[in-house]
Amino acid sequence: MTAPSFRPVRRPGFAPLLALAALALAFAWHVSVGARTIPLPVVAEALLSYDASVFEHVVIVDLRLPRALLAAMVGAALAVSGALMQGVTRNPLADPGILGLLIGASFAVVLVVGVFDLAAPALIPLVAALGAVIAAMAVWGIAAAAPGGAMPLTLVLSGAAVTAFLAALVTIANLLDEQSFEQLRVWMTGSLAGAQGGVMLWALPWFGAGLVVAFAIARQVTALAMGEETATGLGLNVGRVKALALFAVVALTAATVAMAGPMGFVGLVVPHVVRLFAGQDYRQIMPWSALAGAGYLLVVDVAARMVLAPVEISTGLVTALLGAPIFVWLVRARL
Amino acid sequence: MSAGLLIRLDGPVTYALPVHALTVLAVLLGLTCTLVVASLMAGSYPLEATEVVMTLAGRAPSDMAQTVVWQFRFPRALAALAAGALLALSGATLQNVTRNPLADPSLVGVSQGAGLAVVAAMVAWPELPQAMRPVLAFGGALAVAALIQGIAMRRSGGATMRFILTGIGVAAFVSALTSAFLTYGQIDRALSALGWLAGSVHAAGWGEVAVLGGALLCLAPALVMASRPMAAMRMGPEMAVGLGLRVGRTRMALITLSVALAAAAVAMVGPIGFVGLVAPHLAHRLARCGVGLHLALSAATGALLVGAADLAGRLAFAPVQIPAGLVTALIGAPLFVWLLLRTQARASL
Repeated sequence: MTAPSFRPVRRPGFAPLLALAALALAFAWHVSVGARTIPLPVVAEALLSYDASVFEHVVIVDLRLPRALLAAMVGAALAVSGALMQGVTRNPLADPGILGLLIGASFAVVLVVGVFDLAAPALIPLVAALGAVIAAMAVWGIAAAAPGGAMPLTLVLSGAAVTAFLAALVTIANLLDEQSFEQLRVWMTGSLAGAQGGVMLWALPWFGAGLVVAFAIARQVTALAMGEETATGLGLNVGRVKALALFAVVALTAATVAMAGPMGFVGLVVPHVVRLFAGQDYRQIMPWSALAGAGYLLVVDVAARMVLAPVEISTGLVTALLGAPIFVWLVRARL
Repeated sequence: MSAGLLIRLDGPVTYALPVHALTVLAVLLGLTCTLVVASLMAGSYPLEATEVVMTLAGRAPSDMAQTVVWQFRFPRALAALAAGALLALSGATLQNVTRNPLADPSLVGVSQGAGLAVVAAMVAWPELPQAMRPVLAFGGALAVAALIQGIAMRRSGGATMRFILTGIGVAAFVSALTSAFLTYGQIDRALSALGWLAGSVHAAGWGEVAVLGGALLCLAPALVMASRPMAAMRMGPEMAVGLGLRVGRTRMALITLSVALAAAAVAMVGPIGFVGLVAPHLAHRLARCGVGLHLALSAATGALLVGAADLAGRLAFAPVQIPAGLVTALIGAPLFVWLLLRTQARASL
């Protein structure tokens, strides 16, 4: 990472270039590591002058590259949506997993794929988005109706309740239909292994739209993070920004769930790390979160494949193992 | 205690008999007996109520009825009841000690700690005797409880809501670790652990019943002895100190007791969620009474709850069996939300 800087106005220096270089390195490392380690020069060769007769080139382009791209996209999407949620709800504990969006999206997907047997790849991101929106509204509605309003504590608790309820329903749906259970079991722990090209392509527009909206409202989110009164005083249409933020968060969450299943705590961890060096300006936090999230998930995925090789741990488990202690630390430090 | 009957003995002693609460307790026990008979009747080999009663009395109408009742359905029903009672007592104790209405062994990571210890043992040493499981579960649960206490207690005393949030974080960590164990372990061993993790009594036999009943018999007297300090703890740490209680020590002892209760249940039937949350609250709404009687009412409610959940899960989608833990989660999560809507969270943070 770059050196910490506390200057109020940041001039873009070498830091973004360095970060991009680091990301490229993580990407290349991710591609080269696997059941059979492929040296970096061969990776570069496969990308620059692809030769279908070389076995290693085929492995790289057909298997490793999609997975690396997926990891980078999912990491960026989760980190940006986490940063957005933390800014808009002014809640250091906000994360698509903790606030129930991931389980909502997963529940909708399980329902449609498993129970109604509609596995059209075009439909899955849409269904996931619907599920995420409903779960987000439910969690927020419960927290807002609780005494004290939608503050971090009530949001997390209502997220936990909605998660427990939907998780039980998902398990029941899986028990009733053993065949789809087999397919969905790995996916339900958050895995980058089973990415199918079709679903990935259809999730791409959601990913792009969410990212564009998130970057576009970054300035307004900075104002909103100072408090609603301040934001209104600065001439902000708070309702509109919140609606746009909800759209961005839901689109990004839906894209990740459709591609990789629920992957917890990425959206919590990355923005907090980013804030350590990028400050409180969301125009800085958003792009940095996207970069750092992509890099983080690439490295985590390498770890998930290497630590217990040849057995592969679900990437979502590793992100939970890394993220949960940070959640506990945040509870201790911020509440 | 308003609906109490005042008993005057000769001399200075008077005793208020809580008639209402005792009536409720009797009704609950009656319902539990009805539930047992119902769950012995229902299934893929249906039996009449008279047949069930005769089989239980030792005069089985047929060999088949004898086997079905004594081998399968009766131990299963008893295991559900005992596990429910244990979890309810654990939750009630935890709520009294932490003064937190949302405390539940499955929510704050205690059940998950027990689960991790048992899964790790099942995957690493499959030849380990089943009787060792409660010990392991107790160790795991106690470690997690100590960790949460240590993290949550550092700052400003009570901090009950931080306790819950810390528990949620630790629970996420521990269950991810458990899942990692399942991935790493060989698939057949992992599958037996997976079935157990959903919180199901479907495989319970007389061995499980013996362990659960033993735990209940050992720990219930300890709870009876602890009911007085618990009543003092419920009034808050300042009041408890004023009443001459060693708060720190009592707190530790009671939390250990609560962990032991939950660990025994989890070790045998897996983590059945939300019972420790739901049962004490239902008991509280059924009858207002002192701590001791409230514990008894909670135990009866918990037993009834898990028994009913198991029966419902068994019949709803037969022949597919829904683990009781999922049914209790479906009942418990909405109740948790309802409690959340009524609790002054900010006041207790």
